[in-house]
Amino acid sequence: MKQIKLTAWALVLLLGVQSTGCKSKDKKGADTTQTAPLPDTTMNNMPPPVQIAPDTALQTGLRDATKDYPGVQATVTNGEVTLSGAVTRDRLPNLMAAVSSLHPKSINKQQLIIK
Amino acid sequence: MALQDSKYKELVDAARTAGVTDLQVREQDNILYIDGNAPSGTVKDQLWALYNKIDPDFNSGDLILNVNVALGTGAKAKVVTESSNLNIRKGPGTDQPIVGKAAHHELVTVLSKANDQWSLIRTDKGEEGYVYTQYLE
Repeated sequence: MKQIKLTAWALVLLLGVQSTGCKSKDKKGADTTQTAPLPDTTMNNMPPPVQIAPDTALQTGLRDATKDYPGVQATVTNGEVTLSGAVTRDRLPNLMAAVSSLHPKSINKQQLIIK
Repeated sequence: MALQDSKYKELVDAARTAGVTDLQVREQDNILYIDGNAPSGTVKDQLWALYNKIDPDFNSGDLILNVNVALGTGAKAKVVTESSNLNIRKGPGTDQPIVGKAAHHELVTVLSKANDQWSLIRTDKGEEGYVYTQYLE
């Protein structure tokens, strides 16, 4: 009986040692995995998504931005600004800069005549 | 290839070299968005000139270049209208009443930034109100 008890204890101890061994192996594995998830780190370093202003804000901003360009009209649909009318070539960069600073999704100027 | 690595690489490089701060270059739905603060009006003009050279008359519609001149609060800024006076308004918007004028090339004091488009300023004559920031540098 005593011998059985001793064998049982020996077995328990042995399993314990093996289990610790496994844990340490797992830990090593976990360390290896910790270096792996680079995509997460990269995600954190990614710039925030592009800020597109709502149409109402764009409409208000366009009213101010085009005020000094009497021949130019501007409309907004889902963030896309459409410019029409006419503007001189030398004033075009300033007009585009003013509209671009409003955070539109895109600027469509196919209907804008450059004089 | 991404627009920032091909068509507009020269522009992105120029923005970096010229010291544009808070520079963000992002591509979304085949449109490149370049945002940042230019150290001067000259740098902003140079970047727009380069953009115009790469894409004449900005016809492609594949870039939103939003590089503004960073104005320091409390610092002097020059009125850079084409020739006319700059309206000073009661609030930030062209629907607001005009409360004063700043002359072409006059130096005014920037008190604060109301939003991306409007700044609160004070002239040397003591007129205070909001002006369109694009006309300051």
